[in-house]
Amino acid sequence: MGFTVDLAIILLAATLVGFVARQTGQPTIIAYILAGVALGPAVLGVVEVSALTDTLSELGLAFLLFLLGIKMRIDEVRHILTPVLRISFPQMAGVGLAGWGIAWALGFTPLEALIIGLAVMYSSTAVVIKMLTDKDEATSLHGKIDVGILLVQDIVVVILLAVLAAGRPDSLGGIATTLVVVLTLVALIGLAALAASRYALPGVFRRIADNKQVFFLVALSWAFLFVLVSKEINVILAPLGIEAYLSIEMGAFLAGLAIAQLPYSKELQDRINPLTDLFVMVFFVTVALDLEARELLFYWQEAVLAALVLMPVKFAIFFSLIHRQDFRVETTFLGSISMIQISEFGIIVGVAAFEGGFVAQEVLGFLTLLALITMGASVYFIAFSHALYERAAPYLDRWEQDAVFEADEKVYRDHAVVIGYDPVTRSVLPLLAEHYDEVVVVDRKVKHIQLLKERGFDAIYGDFRNATIRKDAALKQADFVLSSSVEPDVNKALLQEVHRGATVFVEAETVEDARELYRRGAHCVVLSEQFAGGRLAAYLRAYLKDEATFKQCVDADIGLLRSVDPLPDMHKQIVGGLDD
Amino acid sequence: MIDLLTTIAIIFTAAGPFLLIANRLGLPPVPLLIVAGLVAGLFIDEARALELAQYGIALLVFSFGIGIQIDVVRTVLADSEMAALGQILGVGSLATGSGLAIGIPIEESIYLGAAAAFSSTIVGTTLLKKEIRSNLVHGRVAESIQLVQDLIALLLLLVLGAEALAADPIATQLGYGLMLLLGAVLVKRYVFDLLGRLAGGSAELMIIGAVSVLVVFIGAAEGADVSVVVGAFAAGLAVRHDADEHLDLYNGIESIKDFFVAIFFVTIGALVALPTLETVLIAAGLVVLTAIVKPAITMAILISQGYEPRSAVLTSLSIDQVSEFALIIAIEASILGYLTPSVFDAIILAAALTMITSSISTRYNEAIYRVLSDRGWLPARYGKIDAWSQVPSDITDHVIIAGYGRQGRQLVETCEEIDQPYVVIENDPAVRDTVQAECDAYVFGDAMEAYSWQKANVDAARLVISTIPFEPVSRRLLASSFEADLILRTDTVTSALQLLEEDVLYVVVTDLLAGEQLVQYVQALLDGRLTPAELRAQRVAELEPGNDPRRERTRSDGDPQAMTGEVQRS
Repeated sequence: MGFTVDLAIILLAATLVGFVARQTGQPTIIAYILAGVALGPAVLGVVEVSALTDTLSELGLAFLLFLLGIKMRIDEVRHILTPVLRISFPQMAGVGLAGWGIAWALGFTPLEALIIGLAVMYSSTAVVIKMLTDKDEATSLHGKIDVGILLVQDIVVVILLAVLAAGRPDSLGGIATTLVVVLTLVALIGLAALAASRYALPGVFRRIADNKQVFFLVALSWAFLFVLVSKEINVILAPLGIEAYLSIEMGAFLAGLAIAQLPYSKELQDRINPLTDLFVMVFFVTVALDLEARELLFYWQEAVLAALVLMPVKFAIFFSLIHRQDFRVETTFLGSISMIQISEFGIIVGVAAFEGGFVAQEVLGFLTLLALITMGASVYFIAFSHALYERAAPYLDRWEQDAVFEADEKVYRDHAVVIGYDPVTRSVLPLLAEHYDEVVVVDRKVKHIQLLKERGFDAIYGDFRNATIRKDAALKQADFVLSSSVEPDVNKALLQEVHRGATVFVEAETVEDARELYRRGAHCVVLSEQFAGGRLAAYLRAYLKDEATFKQCVDADIGLLRSVDPLPDMHKQIVGGLDD
Repeated sequence: MIDLLTTIAIIFTAAGPFLLIANRLGLPPVPLLIVAGLVAGLFIDEARALELAQYGIALLVFSFGIGIQIDVVRTVLADSEMAALGQILGVGSLATGSGLAIGIPIEESIYLGAAAAFSSTIVGTTLLKKEIRSNLVHGRVAESIQLVQDLIALLLLLVLGAEALAADPIATQLGYGLMLLLGAVLVKRYVFDLLGRLAGGSAELMIIGAVSVLVVFIGAAEGADVSVVVGAFAAGLAVRHDADEHLDLYNGIESIKDFFVAIFFVTIGALVALPTLETVLIAAGLVVLTAIVKPAITMAILISQGYEPRSAVLTSLSIDQVSEFALIIAIEASILGYLTPSVFDAIILAAALTMITSSISTRYNEAIYRVLSDRGWLPARYGKIDAWSQVPSDITDHVIIAGYGRQGRQLVETCEEIDQPYVVIENDPAVRDTVQAECDAYVFGDAMEAYSWQKANVDAARLVISTIPFEPVSRRLLASSFEADLILRTDTVTSALQLLEEDVLYVVVTDLLAGEQLVQYVQALLDGRLTPAELRAQRVAELEPGNDPRRERTRSDGDPQAMTGEVQRS
């Protein structure tokens, strides 16, 4: 079998440097790029770009954008949509202008300065979202603002990439034509995606949502359909005499967008994430593989200078724009400090511009180095953002204002979490709803989610194995947890994560599993056979000693069996006190 | 030439519709992926496809290695190695012989033997998911037979990798294979935890780290000239760990595996050329051997080993397909040039077909069993009910409890507490000793047999409780003419409502009763009548001491087979 040695070396180096970065608190992206620099012609020269690594890194980008598309839940960002739009466009214009100006001042040609300006407008999705998630702030107000702005930036970058992919046009008219063709195609494919998301996909996905593997593969199939169309658009349109190019990233993004509006996107994110991580790693390692040390370091003084100027400028632009949307100073500060780095998209724009023949490889080196420096620095700013705010607060007082937008996020605390609606656990739900203000139910069946929502429960669709889902249900803050999963792994992980004071009921299939779960701190392990046996034994006792009670029990149970209510108030109907 | 990315895009685009079909028809996805490959094959070229298939194979075997549970392997090896070995030898040599008979050279016929002999774990476990989870006898036996087969297939890959089929090169290969496994043990023991610590909770780094381990082992295998499949398997063993510690890691690897394995199966299909008559004939022969002869041989072996006819039939009907390992062996052989295209194509076509037919035979397994049984093709079993039973001859006004599982056991305890005479009816040999030790009165016979009830003196009984959730047993009892009150058990509300129409006192629905019990515990906690710690102490005490009458893995009271004749091994 011809496993490429190159890929093996890339993986090993990335792992090694990745671990070092992790230990020193650097983002993994930096580690990958550095690994690439080390392996590439700049230092060791042991690895070359091959068809395989190329494909994998292209796949990485496609998955990254697909993933982004999947995250675009319109209803989740709707309430901050207007402020986000009002921030992002002036922000990009402002930063782009600043970047262009700085590049111009540093002596780049006008075209190069333009590309540099276009490349530095974006903040890094990878860095910001990863850091915010690690700090548990991704769903805080400032986190949401940042995520919203990043998404708007991503749309712009996708369109820009499509224009750049068309290559260096001959004239301004050429650019305009390309832009029109690209925008038309994007609009058409986008419309097709959204139409599918409204009319075709819900039916298709509802049928397969309960089959984990098929669900995942069909979603991939959907993504690749768009990738295929985008990639081969020129071949497809050739008979019509139209010459056009689309980025596969664009296709993947639109495919994701269509899925995002369905209720299953959260689940899918967790499945796509690992693939994205793996392939994006290859992308970042190979970014620097093409760069000779000379090219990377050709403009190193310029890069350092640009970084030193751009970061504060970016902060200032973000601060003033977010502030103008009537957010509080703290939110404004935290939202701005996260966004001061140059994005990995900056590098991608650089690569596209280089491949399109707009700039020389040295400029790509400059952008890479600039991204490296600003990302590395910004990680520390994000990590210590609260401490920095404390320091800066006295000087920021004069900007304090009455906030219009403030946190309205639903935060669960001391609530009940129920994993899985099943014939046994369903009977407890009405009882829990009486005692807890909030009962969150996680389930993998669409039918159940619909039912639970109708009955006023907070229902989350997804697999509890996934960290995102556990976080959404705020497992760590729960006061009462009931798991109807009989898989010991899931329950053990759950027992590890709940807080000390929580009451935990879990289900098991065997006595051995039950013992293990008790050892790990469960308060009650539901063994349905044994539970039923206990109740049945109590009935037998009643039958033999107290026929009237037995009759009551039987009548109550027959009533429950006949009832068509999927969520009966069992605790009000059954006969209690049978046990000793 | 189409580039790699387009090839992948075509593969997945083609797979989508076929996966939807598979889902709609309730078929396992694998054969439909192969069929999707037949279509995709029209657009992509083989060299590219083959390149990608390798990654699918590596990840498939890698995650097989991760998923393997050493302690299960140990019990399985004791349990069903004979069945698996006998079956492989029987079916394998028959297929090889048939190949030789129609003029296929011995070097190629061996691969036909492998294709017929091994059964697919992926397909089998998908089909028997429920049976394996509830630990029914036939689910467990099928799973273990497939496990043994997979391990033997790996060994075979190792041997086939030898340059010549002579003792020396084979010994060398085995030596290298052993060294890889040793390396896996060392990595698992010393390196993996270090990786976990260094990753500092980052799932991303753990996944990339685990894939690196895979790559290193594959590299080592290539360096030693051993099949990389063996390297991938060793790598899987090396990162195998308690899943609850690294849930994210295993979920991540699952995604990556699903991605590449889909590519692998589609590619396999894409490699098939338009079939010639020769291909069709060989494939047809393989299908007959795999779908008819193999289950027949397996049945015979299992029955002769002392398994009940019903377990033997159900087990055999779930392993009647070609294995993914046979596909891997075929593809390796084809790369090495050992296989002519027609034989290779035939193996792949037979695999796709038998994977589909086996899901049909599994779906109708009960009906097939009944047909075989009614025609008298299966040996009957005569138990020594009298010798094994103990019922006081003057017993009256007693409770008869059919099935000594968890529910039956709790009923017996209640009866003993209040000095109520009872008789237990049970037939699972695995609990015979327990029943004898724990019960005052018992009949060791099948609840379907009238004689068992006569023996339990049903005519003088006060109450009959069946804890067997198996419709035929319930119907059998309803049709009997005894006077005693009757409590039946079923697992679904629909059938409970039907049974309630008949002359019964009560129908046990486990989920309902368990739910009621659960509600009472939760209510006691919420009302403050019980603290969580008290509940815990109470429940833990209930589990001890040595309370489970059966082997932990056997859930006989939820297991209709255990009551009606399916026995592990007499």
